[in-house]
Amino acid sequence: MLTARRRVVATAAAVLTGSLLLASCGGSDSGSSDGKTLRLWHYEAPNSAMGIAWNEAIKEFEAKHPGVKVKFEEKGFEQIQKTAPMVLNSSDAPDLMEYNKGNATAGLLSKQGLLTDLTPEVTEHGWDKMLSAGVKTTSRYDANGVMGSGKWYGIPNYAEYTMVFYNKDLFKKYGIAEPKTFDDLTAAMDTFVAKGVTPLANAGAEYPAQQYLYQLALSKADRSWVDSYELYQGKPDFHDAAWTYGAITFADWVKKGYIGKTSSGAKAEDAGVAFIQGKNPILFSGSWWYGRFKAENKFDWGTVLWPGSNLTLGSGGNLWVVPKGAKNKDLAYDFIDITMSKKIQNLLGNKGGVPVAADASAITDPQAGTLISNFNTLSDRDGLAFYPDWPVPGFYDVLVSETQKLITGSEKPDDFLDHVQQAYDKGVPQQ
Amino acid sequence: MTTALRRYPVLVALCLAALFMVLPFLVVAVNAFKSPAEYSQHGPLSLPGGFYVEGLEDFWQRVDYSQKLLNSVLISGCVAVLAAVLSILNAYAIGIGRIRGRTWVLAFFVLANVLPQEALVYPLYYLSKQVGLYDTRLSVIIVFTVIQSAFGTYLLSSVLGQFPREIIEAARIDGANRWQVLWRIVVPVSRPTIGVLLVFFFIWTWNEFLLPLVMLISNDNQTVSVALGVLQGQRLMDATMTNAAALLGVLPALVFFLVFQRTLTRGIAVGAVK
Amino acid sequence: MTVTVERGARAVGKQPHTGPRRPRTSYALFLLPGVLTFLVVVVVPFLMNTGVSFTEWSGVGSPKWSGLANYRELMDDSEFWASFRHSLFMVVAMAVVPTVVGLVLAAALFDYIGKHFGTKIAAVLRACFYLPQVLPIAVAGIVWSWILAPDNGALNALLKAIGLGSWQQDWLGDPDIALYSVMGVMVWVQIGFPLVVFMAGLQRVDPQLYEAAELDGAGWWRRFWHITLPQIRPEISVVLTWCTIAALKVFGAVYVLTKGGPGGATDVPSYFSFTTFFEKTQVGYGAAISTVLTVIILLLSLVGLRLQTRAEDAEEGARA
Repeated sequence: MLTARRRVVATAAAVLTGSLLLASCGGSDSGSSDGKTLRLWHYEAPNSAMGIAWNEAIKEFEAKHPGVKVKFEEKGFEQIQKTAPMVLNSSDAPDLMEYNKGNATAGLLSKQGLLTDLTPEVTEHGWDKMLSAGVKTTSRYDANGVMGSGKWYGIPNYAEYTMVFYNKDLFKKYGIAEPKTFDDLTAAMDTFVAKGVTPLANAGAEYPAQQYLYQLALSKADRSWVDSYELYQGKPDFHDAAWTYGAITFADWVKKGYIGKTSSGAKAEDAGVAFIQGKNPILFSGSWWYGRFKAENKFDWGTVLWPGSNLTLGSGGNLWVVPKGAKNKDLAYDFIDITMSKKIQNLLGNKGGVPVAADASAITDPQAGTLISNFNTLSDRDGLAFYPDWPVPGFYDVLVSETQKLITGSEKPDDFLDHVQQAYDKGVPQQ
Repeated sequence: MTTALRRYPVLVALCLAALFMVLPFLVVAVNAFKSPAEYSQHGPLSLPGGFYVEGLEDFWQRVDYSQKLLNSVLISGCVAVLAAVLSILNAYAIGIGRIRGRTWVLAFFVLANVLPQEALVYPLYYLSKQVGLYDTRLSVIIVFTVIQSAFGTYLLSSVLGQFPREIIEAARIDGANRWQVLWRIVVPVSRPTIGVLLVFFFIWTWNEFLLPLVMLISNDNQTVSVALGVLQGQRLMDATMTNAAALLGVLPALVFFLVFQRTLTRGIAVGAVK
Repeated sequence: MTVTVERGARAVGKQPHTGPRRPRTSYALFLLPGVLTFLVVVVVPFLMNTGVSFTEWSGVGSPKWSGLANYRELMDDSEFWASFRHSLFMVVAMAVVPTVVGLVLAAALFDYIGKHFGTKIAAVLRACFYLPQVLPIAVAGIVWSWILAPDNGALNALLKAIGLGSWQQDWLGDPDIALYSVMGVMVWVQIGFPLVVFMAGLQRVDPQLYEAAELDGAGWWRRFWHITLPQIRPEISVVLTWCTIAALKVFGAVYVLTKGGPGGATDVPSYFSFTTFFEKTQVGYGAAISTVLTVIILLLSLVGLRLQTRAEDAEEGARA
């Protein structure tokens, strides 16, 4: 029965809900062009090399521009990946943001006219002279959104590449020499298998597995092969020598026990943790692991470029892009300039990242020095071969699924190549 | 005497089953207080050496978790109440009013939940931009009020379908109009079911991820589940922090459930009314 | 026995009616807010989505008309139909098993435990069973992937410890059993939902019915079968239908546990649609997938709803 007291409670609840609703009308931050704020978004962790370097850059920017505040919002990678086209098409777009490189991401947005053309700024600030050819590829996109040529739409601060991380203590324990050639590597893996240790850390449910396979193929390929595959400059044949070698060797390695059969369902995190725990002595993956290994590995470890191959996976890092609708473009350009300065680049290098324009002599930590000099070697021989899933949107899932089948043995390499060819042909953009 | 002894195995079996249900929670709790180094060294299923809360403190500062918690409470709370009210109104008409074409009306409402959320993303983005509600919490509240009330309408109308007619007829004869019958008779008697709806709506909305990810861009407007997404990087993830943040994020929903548990058991039984 | 209604301070406007039943049209007014909001938030987007399904679009720029091309492609897409078969397994795991188990559990907790050990214990146990529903599926997925990990996972370690070492499996990485592992996790997630709904429903059952039956000598099981079940029939059909819809739409657990793998063994329509929308950015094709999915699920729910209202009408007729 609705007593007077209950009615008071009900009214109070209604008033509360109403006021909460009004409060929640919180509108969005549209920014203004008065030159007093720089709205900056990125999705690098604050304790990562990039996070630390960019925080320093923010401080320097504010020091150089008295009266201007940097309004930084840390975003999640998934949110940016899924919502970037939508956000950039609204009044919510920031002045400067980090975005993924590649045809399917930056290329797509540039094709739609959502990104500012940075070519004039590049010439003015001389950024193109700081970047090597391989790194420049992912900064320029043509009218079809294909990387490699055309206008500049993004500036990378850092680069990434894959390498063989290996556990020196475990190698010493079993009396194996550190791998310098491909034969060294296979011999080492044989010894590990004989001692009951699975040599390679792998993750079948995410990117690591396909990166092994792609690397094996790359060891039998050349620059034009990569360009044909990634830049649509030819018609890739998945039954050619390189791909066939990659698939057959990968399946062979599973059979030989180099790659654990139980890795089919493992995630990248599991592979990394297995390496840190010392369960697998070798992990072939990217420079993005470096900071974590440096902090958490309790053993002596080293890195070496994949032996016996000129090419390896890698590219320029994520790009600074300026949305077309950005209101403070000049501030954005200044910020990019600061992040490309020697001071910030050296800081990035010293914290475990791979800078694109640092001073080699300013890198104090020897392991970081090796990381960077390996990259420079790679970059100088034009060895950056990007990633296998880039050419076709959604190719990542196909590669993961098909590679899993190779690991569990439910598919032969020949069928693998057929399926991958079908998916590539079906999804490759018409040129 | 033997019946008394026979009861205990049942209790024990149920307690074991309940423990099994709660086990993964314990894993979350164990990992929430581990340092990243411990986690990497000993794996996710080991017990933590100490009580590591620095990660949690860092995360709290980093994403302004108190703001995220507030947003989540605001959105989930409003949705719970509004969706319950909407469900009551709809269910009253369908369950007690027995309007014609009940099946079709019900299907109309159930459609809100049948439609996969991915299909709603682009249209809702477009519509909310048109009315200037893009990147506001109000848009998310409106959308989820509708989506959740689909279940509320369905459950409540089915329950009200069994509502004893005599009581309503008696009230009508006494001169109460439909509005009064609804709020003075139907709602109090249906308190357990409405309690269920409030709890479900709050918790479901609390854990919603995709639509808030798309509709709430400014960090000030984001919810707890979107903030958790920050920890999932492109290639790396922060496992211990994810567990810690999840634990924090689960607490309000848990508190809500425990508080409202009592309404699930209180309520006027039909027999008592008779 | 009449129910007194407290009159408000204002006089009740309408004259008391003792004549024939008032027409039902004014009940429809109560539907107004619901219908209006649903139209805007659900129907209009659904129509927009269907519109997009006739185009080719990557989410930015303008869509390109392509007529029925997406649908024709969908009919031939073996991946889609395979994912549908998998979702039927999900229906078992998310609708059938939780409903049956939930029913028995609800009756046990409410009737048995509540009566013999007190309602507090029953409430605590219920909270434990409901807890999985409170945990975000993303986090639950991470935890379960640790438990089910092949090399150091808790499950395999437990099996080894109790001597069942040969039962160890690669729960999530073996394509033959990955689907069953995901089903198992889904049962764990879903049980709390029917349990809470049924226990609330059991509040409605007149205790006098139980007492009368007990006096007649009916045991627990017979009381359950002949009184409990019929009394909470509306909750049962709602839960079954709702869980079936949820099973056909399941996405979160698959996304976190297996990402549809290994090798597509746990692919479900919603995951397929999600990757099409957001990873392949084929929004037109994704829209076609969701439209077909929606129509199929809607048809199935219509069948369920129709059966339910028929049963309700029959019951009302019998009661009148």
